[in-house]
Amino acid sequence: MLALLIQDPAKINYIEKPAPRPEVDAFGQLEKLASTFHDVDGLFYFTYAVCIFFFVLITGVLVFSCVKYRRKTFDQPPASNTTHNTPLEVVWTVIPLIIVMVMFAWGFAGSIDMTTVPYEASRNAYKASAKQWNWTFSYPNDAAKSYNEVWMRVGKPAQFTLESSDVLHAFYVPAMRVKRDIIPGRFQTVWFTPTDIGEYHLFCAEYCGENHSTMYARVHVVSEADYLKRPWDLWEDDTPEKAVKSAASLYSSLCSTCHSINGAVGVGPTWKGLFVKGPDGKITGKQRDVLVKGEKQTITVDDAYIMESVRSPDAKRAAEFPNGGMAVFPPDQLDDRRLKGIIEFMKSLAEK
Amino acid sequence: MTTNVPVIDSHHGTPATGKPNFLNCSSGLMSWAGTLDHKRIGVMYLVGTMIAFLCGGLFALLVRLHLWEPHGMLFSNADYNQIFTLHGAFMVFLFVIPAIPGSLGNMVLPLMLGAKDVALPRLNLLSFYLWLTGAILATLAIVLGGFDTGWTFYAPYSLYTNKAVVTIGLAIFVLGFSSIFTGLNFIVTVHKLRAPGLTWFRMPLFVWALYATSLLQVLATPVLGITVLLVAFERLYHIGIFDPRLGGDPVLFEHFFWFYSHPAVYIMVLPAFGIISELVSVHSRKPLFGYKLIAFSSIAIAIISFLVWGHHMFTSGQSTYAMFAFSFLTFFVAIPTAIKEFSWVATVWKGSIALNSPMLYTIAFLIIFAIGGLTGVILGALNVDIHLHDTYFVVAHFHYVMMGSIALAFFAGLHHWWPKMFGVMYDETLAKIACGIIFVGFNLTFLPQFIMGSRGMPRRYATYVPDFEAYHRASTIGAMVLGSGVALMVFYLVASLLSGKKAMQNQWGGVTLDWHTPTPPPLENFDHPPSVTTEVYDYSTLDLRTTQTPVS
Repeated sequence: MLALLIQDPAKINYIEKPAPRPEVDAFGQLEKLASTFHDVDGLFYFTYAVCIFFFVLITGVLVFSCVKYRRKTFDQPPASNTTHNTPLEVVWTVIPLIIVMVMFAWGFAGSIDMTTVPYEASRNAYKASAKQWNWTFSYPNDAAKSYNEVWMRVGKPAQFTLESSDVLHAFYVPAMRVKRDIIPGRFQTVWFTPTDIGEYHLFCAEYCGENHSTMYARVHVVSEADYLKRPWDLWEDDTPEKAVKSAASLYSSLCSTCHSINGAVGVGPTWKGLFVKGPDGKITGKQRDVLVKGEKQTITVDDAYIMESVRSPDAKRAAEFPNGGMAVFPPDQLDDRRLKGIIEFMKSLAEK
Repeated sequence: MTTNVPVIDSHHGTPATGKPNFLNCSSGLMSWAGTLDHKRIGVMYLVGTMIAFLCGGLFALLVRLHLWEPHGMLFSNADYNQIFTLHGAFMVFLFVIPAIPGSLGNMVLPLMLGAKDVALPRLNLLSFYLWLTGAILATLAIVLGGFDTGWTFYAPYSLYTNKAVVTIGLAIFVLGFSSIFTGLNFIVTVHKLRAPGLTWFRMPLFVWALYATSLLQVLATPVLGITVLLVAFERLYHIGIFDPRLGGDPVLFEHFFWFYSHPAVYIMVLPAFGIISELVSVHSRKPLFGYKLIAFSSIAIAIISFLVWGHHMFTSGQSTYAMFAFSFLTFFVAIPTAIKEFSWVATVWKGSIALNSPMLYTIAFLIIFAIGGLTGVILGALNVDIHLHDTYFVVAHFHYVMMGSIALAFFAGLHHWWPKMFGVMYDETLAKIACGIIFVGFNLTFLPQFIMGSRGMPRRYATYVPDFEAYHRASTIGAMVLGSGVALMVFYLVASLLSGKKAMQNQWGGVTLDWHTPTPPPLENFDHPPSVTTEVYDYSTLDLRTTQTPVS
């Protein structure tokens, strides 16, 4: 292809690790339904059939007329000059009216099901925190978090409380037929019952800026037994090596949208060269220019600086990125243990 | 339909050779830049909006090319976001809204009413210059860093992004006034300047449609103006209207925006309906079926369109009662729209159908609009919309309406009134081929988008899940075909001005007043003040010789 490629495909999580291609349902228009919202599919195909009927009717009459009544000589008069037919006009007003009222009632009833959270789902409550451009998931009665991946039990209704800390986003799982805008300053909720074990796409469906299209998460629907293994809590930091390994995987699901580790310029500064390895193998922070309230200062990178940049990114902005824009990660979304692991991971990138 | 028909003069009596028309009655840049003639202003709008359309089309081709690869082929994500925003903003604000009223409406409305000009010619010229100012400001916004908010400018992103949002906001504000003034002008013209005997129910349906459009322009556009001003103030002075960090409400922005932008859909589409009503009748040489119902349905659509804006926000967390009302009313709009489509097809039935290029564009419209309208019904259903909202299904639906219906109706009208306005005919064979290419290319572009949309492909994505690659590629190929069809159209239209054959006095055999002026019309349109004594679309009054007599 053209050599104009700018995007690094490896940075896009669904291209690097594609989820299995969703199955298509019997009619080929929708992904196979993996939740209990059958009304969406039913009404979709009902309206679809009605549309095809009217389309064929309209196009058929139109094309037939154009062939049959084509003007062959320039003075050919029309075959008829009828301009009214009251019964016909009543019929083509009343019948569509009845059909659309059926669609309306069916659609409204279906939407009430989708917006009324049943008690059982509210007892199985997740939280999805959206920010530019990643998802953080909290689990019912579990302190651990997961990023851009979420695990759910098959057959158990679940509620998601949705929150955004910056701009509009939308929580969209096509296979579940679920979508809800996420509005900063409000809590929104959705619920659904996943019915099939598998992996599903979760998209951000409301435009949210530069990397809107990579704000993606995988929904794992697993059996009760697999769920009890708590697959989202993969964090191990008993030894520094384990911490770096865990942090590397956290990096690729959470931080890599904006920060590279190979020196490539991203939305935010690269992590390459934050720390350097001295001749004695000692790792020290590099000097870098930052903006404090718009004024340039030179600081030395250390653990405290990294912590501050994650907890309140605008305190010291990297001089190359004067507009800032990094999302804030408070301790309830990224705890100190994990943050320390991330710093270890940064240090492991240090070169001589 | 009329008495005192000047065209007849050219058959018995002195030939009209050398009689000045509006194109050659004066020359020089200032005779155009300072003109008060509605036809010249219409020509300037035509040139301007076509340039905007070609720019918007170029952006569209870039978008489609980029999406050839799942990880994007041409741009960084940030640049892609700018390109699709530019495509939307140029097409909506600089082309679709002003094109038909500004160019064809300006040219044809006074002719159809038997008037010398619009009621307020200076205001008309001001409208054009406001449009031009808006276009320059929009271009300036690109130079000043572009804008990446989508054409919807949803807060709070539009408040935070460091792009030229204020400049483009100003452009939209100015364009809004252009639109309001045109609407105001047309309302006054329709009320005050109808020829003697031209009662309301003898008005051609294009006039009815423009009248309904004008009401919407005057009533809805101020809301958009206020909304973009509020965004600008909020960006400049940090007053908290829409920003939740300052105590504002982003959903309020959506309400304000769609309170204009839904009626705006009908500002765009009603003139297209008007053109199709005219063309279906003329090219079938048959009075329009259900004239009054079509006229009333335009007004009904205009009124209901103010009450359905919430259907753009079904996933935003509105109350159940709001959802109930908005969905109900949305389905209600389907009825007058369906009545129009059925009436057009019934007009074609047993007509005397001339398969010339304006009619081919009209037939393409009727087929595409059937799809565009019917898929709108799918989206009106509340629970189905929750799944389809903000996916390519919506993108495909509104392109079937905006591009496939409105732009095609505009092309149809352009081909229809081209010989009237310029006295020359384009190459009919090329025109038919271009129409075919556009029709095939259009459907190839947007049919795959329905499928990928219903399968979950979100819109405004610079990169996408590889599952959708085949659909995106089909769509990109379609866009290239569509683009080449449009390029061919522009080519033969421009060529016709340079070396076109002479058109006929009454090229298609129309009987409304616009076909009773000399071709091209002189400065003040009619040689004798016209009056109307017969019903509209009465083809028994047609003098067929005028369709066979070239312009002298």
